[in-house]
Amino acid sequence: MRSAGDDLLSISVDDVAAAQGLAADLRKSGDWIEAVAGVDSVVVRFDIASIHRADAEKRLIDAAANISEPAAKSSVIVEIPVVYGGESGPDFDLVCEKLDLSGRELIDLHCGEYTVDMLGFTPGFAYIGGLDERLKIDRLPEPRQLVPAGSVGIAGGRSGLYSLPGPGGWPLIGRTSKKLFDPKSDEPFTLAAGVTVVFREVDSL
Amino acid sequence: MTVTVRQPGLQTTIQSRPRTGLRHLGVPSSGPADPLSMALANRLVGNAAFEPALETTLTGVALEFHAEATIAITGATAQCSLNGQAVQQHATVAVVSGDVLVVGAAEAGVRSYVAFAGGLLADRVLESESTYLPAAFGGYKGRALIEGDDLSLATVSSKMVFAETPAEFRLPILHAWTARAGTSSETTRLRHAERLFDQKLTVASRSDRMGIKLDGEPFEIESDRQMPSVPSFPGTVQCPHDGSLYVMSVDAGTTGGYPRVAKITRMDLHMLGQLRPGNSLRLIERNDDDAARELLEKHAYWRAWLPDIAEVI
Repeated sequence: MRSAGDDLLSISVDDVAAAQGLAADLRKSGDWIEAVAGVDSVVVRFDIASIHRADAEKRLIDAAANISEPAAKSSVIVEIPVVYGGESGPDFDLVCEKLDLSGRELIDLHCGEYTVDMLGFTPGFAYIGGLDERLKIDRLPEPRQLVPAGSVGIAGGRSGLYSLPGPGGWPLIGRTSKKLFDPKSDEPFTLAAGVTVVFREVDSL
Repeated sequence: MTVTVRQPGLQTTIQSRPRTGLRHLGVPSSGPADPLSMALANRLVGNAAFEPALETTLTGVALEFHAEATIAITGATAQCSLNGQAVQQHATVAVVSGDVLVVGAAEAGVRSYVAFAGGLLADRVLESESTYLPAAFGGYKGRALIEGDDLSLATVSSKMVFAETPAEFRLPILHAWTARAGTSSETTRLRHAERLFDQKLTVASRSDRMGIKLDGEPFEIESDRQMPSVPSFPGTVQCPHDGSLYVMSVDAGTTGGYPRVAKITRMDLHMLGQLRPGNSLRLIERNDDDAARELLEKHAYWRAWLPDIAEVI
């Protein structure tokens, strides 16, 4: 249990599945203004005007000791067609060079089936874990001011799917035409934590 | 019941209630950058604190009315006029069809709030009418206003009651600010963490609804670029590799990849909406218990004028 500010508590958990499970439990309980999973932690925001910090800590520890079994894994598989390199992936060559891979090797290592760890950052941005060890790379030293929507980045052993245009610091290897967020839709979010995605190489968007 | 935008200003948006409970989907709070000033404007026209209202940025706004309305202006200090005649901030103003209201450029602070009795009609997306510009939803077509936009006012039946914000509730808009803040478990990554507090920091030009960059002597920070993104909140103070400080504000993304070295306390978050490039900011250290106690004291003070203050700050 760690403090992250006057109305925030952070608790470490074993893995991303535990984080998602605990955060879902906490949201259901109604005790918290926000309960948000990270990759190995959950952060809650609570109403310090009505809940004493010591009570909040106790409730959080109790919940973390009794995380509900995850719901049956979603059977939904979402295909993500990706154009790799060129204008669609402006850091593709840099990534190949840094990781000592040919373009073909990078694409072959990246294509395949993964599970969405979490959404976050901006509406619908997806963190997707499970990348091959050989694709582990740092963020860019300076974030880009404008990353196009649909951009596919990799960093820290994860893929990141940019749902919106905006600033971003992940090296970009490709882009997808799959719409990840549509505020006008009844189901604005294409992906969710736990959903299976498949990256597949295509020639054009 | 419409109002036409004659001059939109730098970035004028409709804001309403902050979004909560959606951060796990990546949806930030949005809403007014200075919720206290917005609540004060809505109070004057008899609305609930977060009835949809306009938030301007630095340069104000000009509006032409096509119906009777009751309005109020709060927030950044600015010269305001109705048909060329000066009107006061912090007081209700009656307007009739054909009137032109001008909220001038901010002389101190950044954002003025213009509230309308009954509120503005706006797009409701993900449980709020607040505009969230990065994803282009909410408010007026998900965007900042442009010249010629027609805003719709809700119909009000009750008669206008003149009101003025009492002097003791006119939120001071300053050039030198102090905000109470606390440390977090990652503060220890800073060498000389004590310099976070009681040091004059300067608000940098890269400051907006996403966040506020603070200039000062750079910190030495122990961090690596492999740090996983972690959930972050408005008020979280990040320290990127260059050793500067960046305070996340209402539109900031819900995760951050840099060490979270401090957090502005809940009670003082409303100041973020008025911090202007060049202003100074001093962080004053508060432990978590004192921050909770002083929030209750601040609520008790403001409740005499804003009964729903606990929803506002």
